[in-house]
Order: sequence, then C-alpha cells, then structure tokens
Amino acid sequence: MSMAPAKRKLLSKPSRVEDKIFFAVAKAAGYSSFVIIGMILVFLSIRAWPAFESQGVLNFTFGTFWDNSLTPPIFHIGPMVWGSLLIATLAVTIAVPMAISIAYFIEFLAPKFIAKIATVIVDLLAAIPSVVIGLWGLGIFSPVGAGWAQMLNESLSGVLPFLSNSAGTFLRSPFIAGIVLGVMIVPLISSVTREMFSQIDGELIKGALALGATRESVLRRVILPTSAGGILGGVLLALGRAMGETVAIFFVLNLTYDRFNFFNILEPVGGNIASLILAKFGEAAPIEVEALMAAGVVLFIITLIINALASYIVQKAQPWRKD
Amino acid sequence: MSKATFVARPKRAEPWTRLGSKVRLASLLTILVPASIFALFLFLTGTDFMAGLVTVFLPLQLLFGAWAGFYAFGKRGILDGLLLVITFFLAFFVLVMLASVLWSVIEAGFRAMSPHFIYQNNVYVSGKTGLEIGGAGHAIVGTSIVVGITSLVTVPLGVATAVYLTETRDFGRGTVRTLLQAMSAIPSVVAGLFIYSLLIISGWSGYSGLMGALALIPLMLPTVSRVAEESLRNVSRDLRNGALALGAPSYRAFLMVTLPAAQSGLVTAILLGIARVIGETAPLLLTMALANGTNANPLEGGMTTLPSYIFSFIALGDPSSIARAWGAALVLLIFVGLLFAAARVASAPKKVKKRSA
Repeated sequence: MSMAPAKRKLLSKPSRVEDKIFFAVAKAAGYSSFVIIGMILVFLSIRAWPAFESQGVLNFTFGTFWDNSLTPPIFHIGPMVWGSLLIATLAVTIAVPMAISIAYFIEFLAPKFIAKIATVIVDLLAAIPSVVIGLWGLGIFSPVGAGWAQMLNESLSGVLPFLSNSAGTFLRSPFIAGIVLGVMIVPLISSVTREMFSQIDGELIKGALALGATRESVLRRVILPTSAGGILGGVLLALGRAMGETVAIFFVLNLTYDRFNFFNILEPVGGNIASLILAKFGEAAPIEVEALMAAGVVLFIITLIINALASYIVQKAQPWRKD
Repeated sequence: MSKATFVARPKRAEPWTRLGSKVRLASLLTILVPASIFALFLFLTGTDFMAGLVTVFLPLQLLFGAWAGFYAFGKRGILDGLLLVITFFLAFFVLVMLASVLWSVIEAGFRAMSPHFIYQNNVYVSGKTGLEIGGAGHAIVGTSIVVGITSLVTVPLGVATAVYLTETRDFGRGTVRTLLQAMSAIPSVVAGLFIYSLLIISGWSGYSGLMGALALIPLMLPTVSRVAEESLRNVSRDLRNGALALGAPSYRAFLMVTLPAAQSGLVTAILLGIARVIGETAPLLLTMALANGTNANPLEGGMTTLPSYIFSFIALGDPSSIARAWGAALVLLIFVGLLFAAARVASAPKKVKKRSA
C-alpha cells in the first residue's frame, strides 16, 4: 500500500520558486516592449526638441524650404510630409485593386497548381528586401514607367490637368515612386485579403449559389461584405508601411524642398520624409541632425496614427482573434 | 412495388463544376479572339505594347467577356463575364510585375556572379573596377554577424513575449499587444535614428556592427512575437491543462508539453523574423560605417552588410557597380528564399499520425 500523497493547497497564483521565475521572465519580456517604445519616443523627442523649438512645431511640419547654410538655418518639411502622403496614397490606390484581384484569383478561380505557383511568387515578394525593390525600380522599371508616364501625359493631360509635366523628363516622379511602392505592398495587402477570403464559410457561398446568385453577386454580396473590415485594416497597415519606406524609393524620387507639388504626379518634384532623412544624414551638421530627428518624430507619429487606426479596424473585423 | 434501388453516387457529383458546351464555346472564343485581334493589330500598326494593351485589348476583352456571359447565362451573366475579365487582367498584370522583379534579379545577378564574388572583399575596388576582382564576401560576413547578434537578443525576447501573451493572465497583455502592433509600424529609418540618438550622439559608442544589430531589434521583435504567439495559441488548452492536472508546475508544463508541441511554429517565427530584418538597409546606413575590408569585430570599425553593399554600389552609379549591386541582390534573394523555404517546410502540416486511443 502506498501512501496517499500529501494534500496540496489549491492556489490561483504560482507558489513554487521556479514558477515564479518563469512568470517573472515572461512578464519582464512582455514589459520590454513598453521600454523599447518608450525609449524611442523619449530619446528621439529629447534630441528633436531643439529643432522643434527653434523652427516652431507648425512651421517645421507644414512650412517649405530646407537650407542649413542660412543663419539661422531653415528646416521645414511640409513638402516632404505631403509627398510621403501623396506617394503612399498613390501606391495604395494602385495596389488595392490588384491585390484584391490576385487574392480572388488565387482563392476562388485558379486551378490548384497555378494557385500554388502564384502563392509562392506573392509570398516570396512579400519577403523581398526593399533595397532590391529599389534596385529593380531604378534599373528595370524607371525607363518603362517613364514611357508610360509620357503616354499618359501626351494623351490625357488636356483632360486631366494633374497629368501635365513641364520638366521635360518623366523620371524620378511621384508617379514612378508610387508604382514601385505599389509593387512592394501588393503582396502585403493580398496576403491579408487572402486570409480574410479563406476565413469565409464555404457553405455561405454555396448557399448563395444555390439560391441563384452569380459569381459577381457572390463577390459583391457575400465575399466582400464579410471581409471588408479585414481588407481595410490590411490596406491601412500597408499604407503605414508605405509611409515609412526609405530605400525602395530613394533612388527613383527627386526630392524638392522649396515648393509643394500638390497633384502633378508626373513632374519630377516630390518629397518623402524617410528619404529626406537618408539623403541629408551623411553630411549633416549637429543642428541639422536635430532637425532630421524631428522629421523622424513626425514620421513616427504619422505611422503610429495610421497603424492604430488599422489595428482598431482589424480587431473589429476579426472578433475571433480576441483572447 | 419495386425494390428500392440505390444508385451509386457519381464520382463527380458537383454539377456546378461541369461546364456546358455553350459555356466552353463562349469562353474559348473570349480567350482566343481578342488576343488574336490584338496580336494582329500590334503586328500591323506597330503600336507600343502597353498602349495597345490598354486601348485595344482591354476594351475588346471586356466586350467579349460581356458577350460570353450573355450568351452562356443570359442577362445575369454579363456582369460575371466582366468580373472575370477584370480579375484575370489585373491578376496577370501584377503577377507579371512581381515575376519581373524576381526574374531581373536572377538574370542580372547571375551575370555578376562568380566564385570570387562570394568570398573576396572590396579592397582595391572602386565603382569602375571590372567584375574580375572583388566581391561581396565581407558583406556576407557582416550580414551574418549583424543578423546573428540581432537574433541572439530578439529570439529569446520575442518568444518570452509570446509566452507572456499566451501563458500568463496578466492585465497588461492587451496593451503589450497594441504596443507590438505599434512597434511593427516603426519606420526602419526611425529605428536607426533611435540608436543613433541614444548611443552614438551621446558618445557611448562609435559607428559599429553592434549598433546596427541593436537598431534591428525593434524591427524584428514584433514579427517573432506575433508568429510565436500564434503558434503557442494553437496548442490545445487541454494539453496544458492535462499536464497541470498531473501535477506539473507551470514552467515544466510549458517546457515539456507546450514548447515541443509548438516547436515548428516557433522555428517559423525565428525564420520569418530573420527574413524580415536581413534586408533592412536604412537603419544600418545610419548606425554603421561602410568598410571595404572584411571585419568580423562587431564592436569596432566599419562593417558592410549585403543591403548596404547594394545601396552603396547603386549610389556609385557606374555600370559595373550596378552589376555588382545586382549580384549582391541575388545573394540576398537566395538567403531570403532559403529562409522562406525553410519556414514553409517547418510550418507545413505534418502527416497525420494515427492517434492512439
């Protein structure tokens, strides 16, 4: 006869030392993300503060002109902020229809074999380094895209004034940067979209078909409404990514500091906060570095806002994700 | 009364997948006619391909798609036909673009590739030097060291964060999840600026490989912890509860039950995390000095990584330096492809084993 084991107290909290260590380590790791984000915000803001103070927050963010040879130097990033938004919007506008098409194609239309190949291409492209996309944009796409831009300009600039171009060259324009960025974010959006599509209950689609729906009405009435929230969240995530992208468009965009280019997307006049930081960082004097830090803070805040919006929408759209 | 006879279920009992002859004829015509008209048009007039594609082929194809839908299914079929045409057109367009990226890297990369490109470094090489000497060996070493250090810090941290999110019932989990989401939104250039402002401006360290590795941590952490969290979450709760009910302390239940069950997912998390940062360029340009020689010391001196090698040679702008950039891009792509393939293998569903009763 063996002894009955000694009674143990039932506790909701870990009682052993090892368990306490285990949970403490996990907690510490969890809280480390507080520390990292906090340090990024605090240190960047501290270093950036002199620039904000001397230029004025509003002037810095929305004014034009960047010159460090003046006394006092002027650091205003208005055209860069606008350029970032313009190019990212352009990229998303181009990428969304394509990403949804390719997700629909892979999930619902393609034979298994072709769907597999397409999935591999899209997923691999999602992991491709942005500097490689930049190299492709500069070496392969720029001449082709300039040709497209010229055709658009010659055929449509009479009707659509924003396609005008007086510079004589079609290279290094927001149009080209937007397409390059679009190619970069198509895989991101399409992988989110594909996930949403694959979550749809197949019975729902079969039911709709049995009730006499066509492919088109199934897409419009069943597939898109059930996945719209998730797709929108994915689009916003990609928008945030596009805002912060640096090297993919560094070589295919001409930075212009002294004027806004509001809608003339074919002109080689553009702006981008991240590219500004990279372009000016190499030979920046300490005071200019502070201004670049401030530009980084502005960029970070913009992407944070977009991302917060995105994660809110995704949370709403995927209630099953909640713990 | 006749005996009830059971008709065997036909093998392909999915009537909706069987296309009638009308549909087949219509779709065949829709595929062939516009394409051949377009080819003829291009051949005769010599118009630019892209211009012709948009102005001639697409309208024709839409017209034929609508007709095919109408012919096969009546009025309701028109929109169907249009939808299919638009979807196929856009999907193929984007697939061509993506394949062009892959193909150009492979094609141009192989032209620069040679054995010495893999192991030689960049000493005595300028932008105009031919491809006979010099290579990206030092950049491969640099990438391995920098990414290695980053992984050494981030993998334990990321997995522990995932443990925090799945195994504990702490009140801060929602906030941490939000913060990780926010961290994945950090523009890479800002991560570089952060390390620069924290450590380099204040004079604690010069430009070095270690600084670059530190700058990559906030970029890698969200990927690792998100994928790891997903894989830990997929481990059945019963398994954990079973271990706990048998008297295992939480840490042993985790180490001996949950961890092995989630193993493949965790490997995927690590691989995807590495793939995420191996191509990062901007933060490294702000925190590391470029070097032409091979440097294996992350604490001191310049160090080149593959992405910054590509970047610096694009910036030089000469044809032979661009060729070098393509070569390094191919090397980088091969690394990413290997990581990606390994992640797919690791996360592939295992063959179903018979469960013992």
